[in-house]
This record gives sequence, structure tokens and C-alpha cells, in this order.
Amino acid sequence: MKTNVGSGDRGITSLLSGERVPKSHARVDACGEVDELSSVLGACAAALSEAHAGLQQEIQGVQSDLLHIGAWLATSPGSPTRQMLRAISPGRLREIEDALDRLEAGLPPLQSFLLPGGHSTAAWAHIARTVCRRAERRVQSLAAEAGETGIESAEGILPYLNRLSTYLFALARYCNKVQGVPDITWKG
Amino acid sequence: MKTERLTPFTTRVRDRTWLSEKAFQVALDRPSGFRFLPGQSIRISNGSAERDYSLACAPDSEALTLCVRRVPHGILSTFLAQAPLGAPLTFTGPHGYFLFQKSPHPPVFVATGAGVAPFFSMAAAGVRGFTLLHGARAASELYYEKRLRAASALYVPCLSEESAPGCFNGRVSDWAREHLSPRAYDFYLCGSREMIRDVTRLADERFPGSLVHTEIFH
Repeated sequence: MKTNVGSGDRGITSLLSGERVPKSHARVDACGEVDELSSVLGACAAALSEAHAGLQQEIQGVQSDLLHIGAWLATSPGSPTRQMLRAISPGRLREIEDALDRLEAGLPPLQSFLLPGGHSTAAWAHIARTVCRRAERRVQSLAAEAGETGIESAEGILPYLNRLSTYLFALARYCNKVQGVPDITWKG
Repeated sequence: MKTERLTPFTTRVRDRTWLSEKAFQVALDRPSGFRFLPGQSIRISNGSAERDYSLACAPDSEALTLCVRRVPHGILSTFLAQAPLGAPLTFTGPHGYFLFQKSPHPPVFVATGAGVAPFFSMAAAGVRGFTLLHGARAASELYYEKRLRAASALYVPCLSEESAPGCFNGRVSDWAREHLSPRAYDFYLCGSREMIRDVTRLADERFPGSLVHTEIFH
């Protein structure tokens, strides 16, 4: 696959559905947030050792989901292109919830607020969680601006980002645990 | 969570026809269960390299046809150019969203070189009424000219490095700048980066409100 070069030099880009829009467009903005989230997740996976190959694969699965979400967000409502896109299925949401359960099963109960940090892998997971929440806000805003509230939700994107944020919080705690680094609790 | 996995199809080289000194058409056996839409591509692997190629055939064709430009020192294009008939390959797909969509705007297809492949597939599937700006260095590189000329409402061969009767002498973007009436179009661009950049900029400047769909080939 070759990369397009130069068509956006003047601050205009193409949506997947073909429209030329400014790069500050809310749809482009939402895609950018999802892209940033995927990049941070990549950093988290890269910081994990080979001993956690299963977790790395799990994170890559999320990154794959985020590409599908980005494609959906980059397509205007009503475009025939959307018929080609794969939404987040209820089954996939359940898989995220199952993964969350697996992570939490090995964690001690949460006794207080945590300060993001600890091992570098946990720190990356916390950053990913906050970027995920920002992406969620952008998608919500986009849906409202486009007058299509409920569409992104119905396609599973908002529920997915909501579940993913929770998963990433658990992932951060799990990373600290497997690295032997205690979570940093808030002393008040 | 499961990691997404694309299951490869297995196929064999069925036939090969040279279209010019630089490009050839290769037909692959069609695996059962493989379906695609005109404009989509497949990712071919010979075990040591993989590349994307648009399908240049109708969705119901018996074989899967690709239009391949032989790239000097290109691993996969050289393999496809030299592989004996029957040689095994794997591919994943179909990939991509470069699909023709009906619209109130007139469709303008713009291709350079082997980038004409998806438009051949669309025409083979029955798409009509389009303008096709077909760019090449020389007339011998206007692949699928007869079939595309017959299917299009307006076929404009544009030659950048030689003159030939009935051909525009210049780039596709030059023709579009000089001859396309100012209005919104649905542009479908497949070919070199340079062409895609030039025509996209032209669309921004001269044809506001147009849709621009792109696919890059070399």
C-alpha cells in the first residue's frame, strides 16, 4: 500500500467518502484522537517484554479495532462507503469485557484513588486511558454536531471507547503488578 | 480478546500476457469462496514479499486478473513476470474502498499507467457514463484502451512523452485544467503520487464540492 503525499499540503484532506474538508474538521479531529490512542497503545505494547506476548497481541487487537473505528469516523453519514465498513459488534464488546475481567481477576481490590504511573508500561496504559477518554468526547461531540447522535453509538463506537477506557485502567494496574511495581496510591 | 487475522487464499499463476515492454497481465486461479467488488485489491505474497494489486477483471470472472508494471529490482513484480505457470501464491483480501458510487455528480476516472486496472474492473462490471482520462508516457502504455473507450462516455488518452493521433499531448491534469467545465465532479484517481497530488489540487481550486477518491499505484 502506497502513501498519498502532497494532497494535503494546503490544509485540506479527503474523507474516506471522498469529501475534501479542512484538517480542522470535527471528523478529522476525531480520527486524529483515535490515531493518537492507537499510537500510545503501540508504545505500551512495545515497552512490554516478550514474556507478555499474549498481552501485546491483545493490544494489537485493540489497535486493529481502532483502525476500523477510524475508517468509520472518516466517512460521512449517508455515504455508500459506510456500507462497506465493519462496525464494532456486540461480540467484540463482550470480548473487551471478558479481557477486562481477566485482568481484574488477578488484581487486588482498589482501596483508593491511584496516581498514574509506576512502571513505564503502566504509565503508557494510563496515558492511553486518558487519550481514549478524549477520543470518546470527540466522537460524542461529532455525533452531536452532525445531528446523528446515536449513530456512532449504535455502531458500537461510543460503547467500545467507554469499555476500552475501563480496560486500560485495569491494564495499567496489571502492568504494574506483573512488573513488580506497586500502584501509586493517592495520599490525599 | 482475539487478534484479527486475515486468512490467506491459495492460488496459482494461470496465464500471463505482456501488454507492453513494461507491463503485463497475469491471471490467477480463482479460489472458491473469494468475492470482491470492482475497485478492490488483493495483497499477494510469494513467501518473501507481499504487494497490493487492484483486480482488473469482472467480479464474476473465472480467473483473477492483475495488471502489473514491472518494477526494476521489484521482488514481486519480477516474480510474477517470471513465475512458471502453475506457480503457487497466497493472497489476502479483498482490500480497499476504491468503489464506484452513484452520485448526482458526473464521474471522472483518472488513471496513469497500470492504475487503470480498477477502472477496467468497474467497466467490466457494467459501470458506464464516465469520463476517463488515461495518462501514459507513450501510446503503447494505454492498457485496455479499446475496452475502456467503448465503455466510457468520453475517453481521453493523454501522452506525456510522445505525440500520437487522437491523443492529448500532455498530462491528465493539463487536460482537466483546460477542458473540464467548472462544476462538482466525483473524481476517482488511481496512479502515480504526482498525478493524484496534481488532480486533487486542481479539484480543490477549480471544482469545489467534488468528491475525490484515490488509490495510489506506481
